[in-house]
Amino acid sequence: MSAIRDFIGLVGDGVKANQTLWLLVFGFALFPIFSYFADLPFWNDVAMRIMLLGMAAMGLNLVLGYGGMVSFGHAAFIGIGAYCVGISQFYGISNGWAHLGFSIVTCGLAGLVIGYLALRTSGIYFIMITLAFAQMLFFLFVSLEAYGGDDGMSVDRGEFGFIDLYDPLRLYFLIWCALALVSLALMFIVRSRFGVTLRAIKSNESRIEAMGLSPLRFKMVGYVISAVICGIAGTLFASWQEYVSPDIMHWTRSGELMIIIILGGLATLAGPLLGAIVFLLLEESLPMLLGAVAPAYAENWMIIFGPLLIMVVLFGRGGLTGIIDRLSGTRGNADHKAGPR
Amino acid sequence: MSRAVLELQGLNKSFGALHATRDLSFCVNAGEIHALIGPNGAGKTTLIQQIYGALKPDTGHVLLNGKDITSLPVPGRVRAGIGRSFQISNVLMDFTVLENGIIAEQARLGQSFRFLRPAFDDPDLIAGARKILARVGLNDRADQRVGDLAHGERRMLELALALATAPQLLLLDEPMAGAGPEESQRMSQIIETLRGKLAILLIEHDMDAVFRLADRITVLVEGAVIASGTADEISNSAAVQTAYLGSE
Amino acid sequence: MTLTLILEQAFNGLQAGVTLFLVAAGLTLILGIMDVVFLAHGAQVMIGAYAAAAIAAATGNFYIGLLLAVPVTFASGYLLEFLLIRHLYRRDHMDQVLATFGLILFFNELIRIGFGPAALYSDLPPSLSGFVEILPGTPYPVYRLGVILVGLACAIAIHMFVSRTRIGAMVRAGANNPEMTAALGINIKILFRFIFATGACFAGVAGMMLGPITAVQPGMGEPHLILSLVVIIIGGIGSVRGAFIAAIIVGLVDTLGRVFLPAMLRLVVDQATADGAGPAVASMLVYILMAVVLIFRPTGLFPAKG
Repeated sequence: MSAIRDFIGLVGDGVKANQTLWLLVFGFALFPIFSYFADLPFWNDVAMRIMLLGMAAMGLNLVLGYGGMVSFGHAAFIGIGAYCVGISQFYGISNGWAHLGFSIVTCGLAGLVIGYLALRTSGIYFIMITLAFAQMLFFLFVSLEAYGGDDGMSVDRGEFGFIDLYDPLRLYFLIWCALALVSLALMFIVRSRFGVTLRAIKSNESRIEAMGLSPLRFKMVGYVISAVICGIAGTLFASWQEYVSPDIMHWTRSGELMIIIILGGLATLAGPLLGAIVFLLLEESLPMLLGAVAPAYAENWMIIFGPLLIMVVLFGRGGLTGIIDRLSGTRGNADHKAGPR
Repeated sequence: MSRAVLELQGLNKSFGALHATRDLSFCVNAGEIHALIGPNGAGKTTLIQQIYGALKPDTGHVLLNGKDITSLPVPGRVRAGIGRSFQISNVLMDFTVLENGIIAEQARLGQSFRFLRPAFDDPDLIAGARKILARVGLNDRADQRVGDLAHGERRMLELALALATAPQLLLLDEPMAGAGPEESQRMSQIIETLRGKLAILLIEHDMDAVFRLADRITVLVEGAVIASGTADEISNSAAVQTAYLGSE
Repeated sequence: MTLTLILEQAFNGLQAGVTLFLVAAGLTLILGIMDVVFLAHGAQVMIGAYAAAAIAAATGNFYIGLLLAVPVTFASGYLLEFLLIRHLYRRDHMDQVLATFGLILFFNELIRIGFGPAALYSDLPPSLSGFVEILPGTPYPVYRLGVILVGLACAIAIHMFVSRTRIGAMVRAGANNPEMTAALGINIKILFRFIFATGACFAGVAGMMLGPITAVQPGMGEPHLILSLVVIIIGGIGSVRGAFIAAIIVGLVDTLGRVFLPAMLRLVVDQATADGAGPAVASMLVYILMAVVLIFRPTGLFPAKG
């Protein structure tokens, strides 16, 4: 009993320390009410995509932001998670919980193998090796004709017992629950002894060695956790999209995840979610804006988006959470400061 | 007869044509401050790296308390009882002083693989960290970001972190480098308090400090030991005079 | 019959290898010397291909297209370095990834607007569309043979340049130790810009030569980028010699693997399994190769930095 009270206390402290994150998460819980009264059901769809991409970006942020490992291949884990649905159904397994289970196990193993090989290197090598492994898996699925090859395969939404995913709102809330759980887990992890050590490794690997710890083991565990989170996002992505193809793990998706994190703010819990909101809103609105100015070029919104990205890199330090912190006058990493409660 | 904490047996290390460590053997005894001196390029840092495990010797053995640790990697050697401060302050710059202490404390306790409780709020860890910082008198700077500390304070913090693992052998690589006279004196005082408690291998260019602090001195020239003895023996050694002190 | 096929495919692999080298040569120096993760190198391949195709279409002469596309790609590399890349030298790798990723999106969209989304096909002039017998009874397309020869010529030129000239010596010094190069008083800004533009130019040459044998379309550069990254990892970042050897290996392994691996698998396992797994394994072969190299040589086969 006291363990439960203890846990609730921990959650309360965490929520207090990460208000921006939980404001966003609960905003997503309330969003369907808004879209219902505003008569914008389409935006529920956008919100689901934001949550899915945001979740994956949060997973990547654990290694990228907190651990300082610039992985350029996390789309592969989204893809593996998605194919866990497709391939399971191909062999007649339609239970959504089973899909999730497969996804967690497979992504964990894939993360372990890729992490073990890639983490032997650092810097540019690490970036390119993670990219290369992702490409390897991409081409693997392109060449697997049994599972649709290039064209992919259409899938049914997983059967989650009493949760009927063909009810759009139940799918919405399944995704929301996953987002909330991932947020909760990451909130604990980054503040925990493990998370603190991971951040210390990013800051100074040799000092961590001098404390008698092997950085590689921490990085590996972080890498596997982030792979699993991306895998969960991918599994739900497949159910949402009702379709899986190698496109889901195209290398540009890994780039998108990085963009989302940078936009939102590196090594912050709320950053990836905030970045996902901005990224997808830009993706939805840029074609419209461009269409209003030059109708013939509405499709070519990337011509604006590309340079916009370069501008963010050159001039936007700290991302959106950085801007929010500056506006509200709190310090960047205020939620991680040590001290008695 | 004092017991050898560190024993080096016939170490050799070459980088291409450069023979950085030549058939090198000596001991550091329990409780003594043992200084390693030599002109620039004598191979002091290369030797420290081999004791610490960052470099592997081509031949020879490193023994800690009689146990062969030659094949252990750095973290293993630290757990076996070696602590180290680096030539350039090696601390966690993005964290506060107290947070540095907390991370060291949880590493010492072997609790770094825990995922639930926030580390920086933990009263036990904070108490442990305070103890670590108290050894070098940094508790009043606990909430300072390390990036904002003065150079000398960073060196103190690094020493505190190196001591946190309760090492039997402490490697100090130029602890006074870049420090002002006051900071140097403070560092000397702290090293003095450690005398007799653990073995210290000290590399230092400040000869006054070396001769004041060291129980024994080993002189390294071109990767080989040319003399070893007490401060008096070394300052009276003709070989050292010509090879090293004379050339300064 | 089998020998003919093997020989023909070996030549195809060689052709893939030398073009891969042309892309990787500049990129390995950009990564090794400037320490910039430049992902838009594939766009230079695309620019070269489009420039050649467009100029050839406008003038009606294939050769003029090839000839004029060279300065175009050099200029595009020069301008790019001047406008953007030099601001990225001091940034961390992630910033470089994102900025050059944005550049890819921009270039692909620019080409899409300028030339439409569909693939461009350019015809070879009659003089290049024939076959030669490389062995009695083994005809091989003249054009592909030409690509191999031009690629090898470029490789020799790059090798001579890096190993025999003063600027080449600076380049090698830079790959070994960038700080030292700066300390020697070498004008690093100009050296960087020159390497960048030349690297872009060779990538462009690869693109213009590939034009007539592949589809010229927006985004065509990315597969070349990824494969050349694999080449660079295998060869060792910053090593031109490593890039050449790795490029030939990757070109051969990829080409021969795709053709012969399914057949070879059929000897070991039953046909259904072989037909299923063959293409899958073949498409992963170069990445598996890379992983194996990494396990044994984490800094590549010919690391430039000691």
